[in-house]
Amino acid sequence: MIRVGGNGLLREFVEKNHVKFAESAKDWKDAIRMSCETLEADGTVEENYKEEIIACVEKYGPYIVIAPNIAMPHSQEGAHGVHKTEIAFMKLQKPVSFEPGNPEMDAQLFFTLASCNPDQHLDNMSRLSEMLCNEQVVEELAKAETMPDLLKIQEQYLD
Amino acid sequence: MAGQNLKFLVCCANGAGSSLMAQMALEKVLRKYGITAGKVHHCPLSEGKSSAAQYDVIVCAQNFANMFGDAEKKGVKVIPLKNVMSAPEIETKLKESGIID
Repeated sequence: MIRVGGNGLLREFVEKNHVKFAESAKDWKDAIRMSCETLEADGTVEENYKEEIIACVEKYGPYIVIAPNIAMPHSQEGAHGVHKTEIAFMKLQKPVSFEPGNPEMDAQLFFTLASCNPDQHLDNMSRLSEMLCNEQVVEELAKAETMPDLLKIQEQYLD
Repeated sequence: MAGQNLKFLVCCANGAGSSLMAQMALEKVLRKYGITAGKVHHCPLSEGKSSAAQYDVIVCAQNFANMFGDAEKKGVKVIPLKNVMSAPEIETKLKESGIID
């Protein structure tokens, strides 16, 4: 997909305050709840959404770990209690395990999806996929600790 | 040339997250090889399990691969992915299974 002006996803996370840095999570459920906080804060999703995501993972397994160290919590498109189409970022200093004994299912970087508009969601997913296919960006995100760090990564790799 | 006109189904739990990512990666690989697919469709597992036999190739996250055993018996190729965003992984696995050359 061609976009003029680059892929502004990280800047968008910062501008919308869809960013959370935390030390650790008690377990994967806790991590999912934490990853939804910034989306709840501005009314993108309601409080039921995080429990729906947890129910999906309980039903289908840890499929939301889409690549090593990366989780993409989401339920279905047009899920109940979702009012905007957004992505929120969360980084845990200490990775959380989604499958005991399988370190391949540990995750530190969370990109939590909310979708009620298919076109916008497709655009978001295309930008997210493009960003996460850049291994340097993923490495830098794993080191980031503040919003200014995200903006630096944005400027260096994505603008 | 291998791969032309094949029907691809990309599946994930909800049909809105990883299946979209895998579809974008798959389309990148198909473009690279100049392959025009007969169809590329993404959907949730609930739909995929019943429609799988109508496709030539199923692409899904590795933890869902075992759900397509019936389709596999009918000759559908199943491509399980470790990293659903990885075009290189899809490319390698499509080659290994002889879908592209």
